[in-house]
Amino acid sequence: MEVILKKDRLGEWAAKLGEGADVFAPAFVEDCWAFTKVEPGGEVALDHGNTVRPAKGFVFPQREVLYRFSQDSGGAPRLTETLPDDPRAVVFGVRPCDGRAMVRNDKVFTCGFADPYYQARRERVAYVGLACAEPPSPNCFCLSVGGSPDAEDGLDVLMTELDGRYYVKALTAKGKDIVVAASSLFSEAQPADRSEAESVHAAARSHPQRSIAAMDKVAEGLKRNFDSPEWDALARACIGCGACTYLCPSCHCFDINDEITSRSPLAGERVRTWDNCQFPEFTMHTSGHNPRETTGARLRQRICHKLLYFVENHNIQQCTGCGRCITHCPVGIDIVRIANVMEEAAGQ
Amino acid sequence: MSKNIYLPKLARIAGIKDEVPGARGIKTFFVEFPDGDGFEHECGQCAMISVFGKGESMISIASAPAVKEYKQFSIMRTGRVTTAIHDMKPGDIVGVRGPYGNKFPLENWKGRNLVFIGGGVGLAPIWPVIQTAVANRADFGKISVFYGARTSRDIMYAEALEALRGAADVHLSIDAPEEGWQGFCGFVPANLLDKPQSPDNAVAVTCGPPIMIKFVIKNLIGMGFADEQIYTTIENKMKCGVGKCGRCNAGKDYVCVNGPVYSWAQLKDMPQEY
Repeated sequence: MEVILKKDRLGEWAAKLGEGADVFAPAFVEDCWAFTKVEPGGEVALDHGNTVRPAKGFVFPQREVLYRFSQDSGGAPRLTETLPDDPRAVVFGVRPCDGRAMVRNDKVFTCGFADPYYQARRERVAYVGLACAEPPSPNCFCLSVGGSPDAEDGLDVLMTELDGRYYVKALTAKGKDIVVAASSLFSEAQPADRSEAESVHAAARSHPQRSIAAMDKVAEGLKRNFDSPEWDALARACIGCGACTYLCPSCHCFDINDEITSRSPLAGERVRTWDNCQFPEFTMHTSGHNPRETTGARLRQRICHKLLYFVENHNIQQCTGCGRCITHCPVGIDIVRIANVMEEAAGQ
Repeated sequence: MSKNIYLPKLARIAGIKDEVPGARGIKTFFVEFPDGDGFEHECGQCAMISVFGKGESMISIASAPAVKEYKQFSIMRTGRVTTAIHDMKPGDIVGVRGPYGNKFPLENWKGRNLVFIGGGVGLAPIWPVIQTAVANRADFGKISVFYGARTSRDIMYAEALEALRGAADVHLSIDAPEEGWQGFCGFVPANLLDKPQSPDNAVAVTCGPPIMIKFVIKNLIGMGFADEQIYTTIENKMKCGVGKCGRCNAGKDYVCVNGPVYSWAQLKDMPQEY
């Protein structure tokens, strides 16, 4: 389903959707672009770069309660399941790299053992993508990892900005629903609209980006250089802050801990929080033994997970080229550079 | 298994047996599920044990799959959760979710000689295989069990190991001589070297401290065992048990799902991240 929305009617669409769902759109808040709740009658403008935080948090929040437990003295524990029942949400302004990252997250959370928390949220969240007319960040490299500025996978709707209007393509049943919900705002897309959208996409794809030169050889290069001392050199400046993975749209690692509100009688919650492979405690055994003891080993884990292990397990790179881990690294660690270095290095 | 992969079943500690005393002591817990709420498992699989308010730990299931009345867990006191479990009493309730991981391919070993080599608390993960083999004694050739601990007081399953004699050759060892000790003195790999095992039609299964496993495998290869004839089970820090939390991987493999049981043929080519 392909329709046209006049730019000045975007707010009306958001308002209409706001009747049955929470609506989010990028806004410049406290010095950064962030997905922000659109209040009734509030403005929506899609003139952002990319958000600092990715769109994954709507489905996989940084902290969530898995269940509550309680136990009276001498009694048996009682567990109360807390599956999400958040209102439906529509998220505007999602860049295609973040949409493609959700396809990766779907593989992790729904293959093998299905994760009911992720699934419940995924069904309630609609991602409305915005094609990039030009790379929103100087560190974009989506084309190197099989993506594109108009990639559709993982999104429910893709919007492309044309002159004075948006070309709106509904991609899923959920996407059709949110277009149909406000059908009076749209007009049918004409062949001329489609060809204008195609030329916007083509121009965006030919825009220079950062580049991994031989992506098809990177996995092999990483394998060959697994034991290379180069990892320690590349990680020498790393301060282990973990910004790279917290801000990554496809990083999914988490911790599970108990948070108690009362010791006697016992009451508390089992909580899942984002965790981080750049922290030494992430893999440290209780004995003190740590399989990834050095920052070099932990950097290697992050890069290999993105560009080698995920390829071996799912036949696609986990990285979607948003460039956040490069932009926000305080010491300049750069996945594009590392991929190129490891692809070229002969191995030990 | 519960539909919610993170929600444990509640189970009752029916009995506790002190195995090894001390700050790093070992206790065996016999855990019973309410009628019809238990689960089947295979040799080598693990389960997540919860102490509510403290957290969860991944523990090998030490009882044989044929034992339906209870699940046995032999746990060394090392951290927050295992200390809390050690403080529990019969009748207390724990959470259990599982079973997780792959299994020892015992069904492929019929008619073969089995050599088990365990050290310390590393006897627990291979115990269900030993129990199953002995319970089906006629299905297997010669069975040998090597087990070593630091001192005679550190030997777990002491009576059960004695009870294996007759069905299996049992070779115990302690690190240093003690008055009255009849068995071997020295490390486990040295005890194995002292009693060479034939690789002909044999499978070797080992678990223990990483340094022990390393030299046991070296010695087995020295005796002519092929990589495919050697099995071990490995451990890593785990939080989810279902291949999602992202920390227990060695290369592309999540130990909780793809492991913990590996042949040396598989393991020797994997990154040594365990």
